[in-house]
Amino acid sequence: MTQTTAAAIPAAPGADAPAVFIEHASKDYGRAAGGRREAVVDVSISVSHGAIHGLLGPNGAGKTTTLKMLLGLVRPSGGTFEILGVRSSDPDARRRVGFLAEQPYFPQQLTAVEALTLSGRLGGASRQVAAGQAASLLERVGLDGQSKTLVSKFSRGMLQRLGLAQALLGEPEVLILDEPGSGLDPVGQRDIRNLMLDLKAEGKTILLSSHQLSEVETVSDEVTILHKGGVAARGHIDDLLNVSGQTSVRAAGEGELPSAVTDVVTDVAVSGSMSVFSLPDEKVRDAIEALYDADWRIVSLQPKRASLEDYFAALLGDGDSTGRMPSQTKGGAR
Amino acid sequence: MNRLIAISSAVVADAIRRKVVWVVVVFAALLAIAIPALPSYGVGIVAGVFGQVAIALMWVVALVVALALAATRMPVEIERRTVFNVISRPVRRWQYVVGTWLGMFLVLGVVLVAFASSTILIGWFTYGHPMFLLFEAAFAVWLEMGIIMAFTVMLSTLFGPVTAVVGGLTLAFVGHAVVGFLHLSETQRAPVWFPSLDVFNVINPVALGSGVSAVYLLAMVIAFAAWVTLFMVGGSLMFAGRDL
Repeated sequence: MTQTTAAAIPAAPGADAPAVFIEHASKDYGRAAGGRREAVVDVSISVSHGAIHGLLGPNGAGKTTTLKMLLGLVRPSGGTFEILGVRSSDPDARRRVGFLAEQPYFPQQLTAVEALTLSGRLGGASRQVAAGQAASLLERVGLDGQSKTLVSKFSRGMLQRLGLAQALLGEPEVLILDEPGSGLDPVGQRDIRNLMLDLKAEGKTILLSSHQLSEVETVSDEVTILHKGGVAARGHIDDLLNVSGQTSVRAAGEGELPSAVTDVVTDVAVSGSMSVFSLPDEKVRDAIEALYDADWRIVSLQPKRASLEDYFAALLGDGDSTGRMPSQTKGGAR
Repeated sequence: MNRLIAISSAVVADAIRRKVVWVVVVFAALLAIAIPALPSYGVGIVAGVFGQVAIALMWVVALVVALALAATRMPVEIERRTVFNVISRPVRRWQYVVGTWLGMFLVLGVVLVAFASSTILIGWFTYGHPMFLLFEAAFAVWLEMGIIMAFTVMLSTLFGPVTAVVGGLTLAFVGHAVVGFLHLSETQRAPVWFPSLDVFNVINPVALGSGVSAVYLLAMVIAFAAWVTLFMVGGSLMFAGRDL
């Protein structure tokens, strides 16, 4: 299935317009050595209110360019860009949007609270209101106690947190986050993930671009995978990752797995007394009975799900020379 | 308007904390203190020459500060991507261009007031009477440098600091070489389209103690407003089409 069929194109905006609407976006940087530089080709994305939408792809896939076009930082060669029903070329569309740039930078001579206050004032808030918001947001992103610290003294991870605080200024309804976990240690990444889930619970809409597939997998309702500027796949994460007709079994026991099981498993991993294996759905009943007969204990039983890493690798490895995936697009944006 | 003020105040805060501006001012003040030691003073030429040299020094200092601020601010913000923090907010690109220029113009105004004040004090201490007309000269230099900064900012929306500095210097040179460029006689006026900056040259009336009339000051302000508007519109249009 091609990603730009009529069914795959998001619905036109109306009264109940999606929170983020991108249709037929393209960006051509003009001539370059070896041909034209088409950074984005016919990309369409629709994000529902209150959803987290992941944007995935390798370096150069067009993720950041797409986000920049949405925010008016890069002039699109074509396409429609709307945020909350307003054309994103209109600065008013950005009133209710928070943006975290990949590797955020701030004026080095400002303190953290000054940097946020300036940003809040650019959003239209008074100095007092912006300063109040800045203080509470610094606490929310784990930078309480650093408000008077110069930005130039911040580590990479602290800058990332400060960038996130800036994105949250003004209670935005839509958040556009470009690599939010970049530069953070595992604890910081967990904090960011939890924060995104909290924001979703508050009804915020998040468009998330990330290389960290596990991060996207954990929080996203839907993903769009970009490759060489085009949409390679999109859909609900369960639709993309569930392996049809396979069940994943985790069982504990001594000795070898019963032959009734080993004869039908498609993959198996053993760690100590624990074995994890997959098998066709229709073989599950027989396998469980065999395991019980051999005194094994069933720990879990669930539909087999590929990791996003595996899916991503298979998808990109299967692409043709244009980078389009002829048969792996599942589902479609509304 | 709130956003223009926010952008310009950030430029002012940046300039204050960088201290570079103040180093230039202190250096210039030291030069001003040294003016009475020039050889001319040994043969009895006094306050008039002091005023002329002080204004010339003021012009050079202002030009250095103006170009240093105007040529670097936007290219550095774009390179470091701090511009994203501004443009991703509900800010129009022209507001960023105009707000940036406005902040620089205010910084330069403070620098010139500080420099003119210190020079007046030095002259007062040395010759026994204050030369308050130096404020008039500072005002003229401020307006002239406002135009040069607007032109330099316009260039810096698309080009790097070196190109912008060369452009600003070229305007300063061409603007004071109208007679030579257009082969005019001393009594002829430059056409309105020519970027003449001679109107802002008030060295002689200030040094001689007569000053300039209110009408002349108004003419300077009108010329300033016209050229700055032109360059700000040009800069906004150029920046509007730029990918960041």
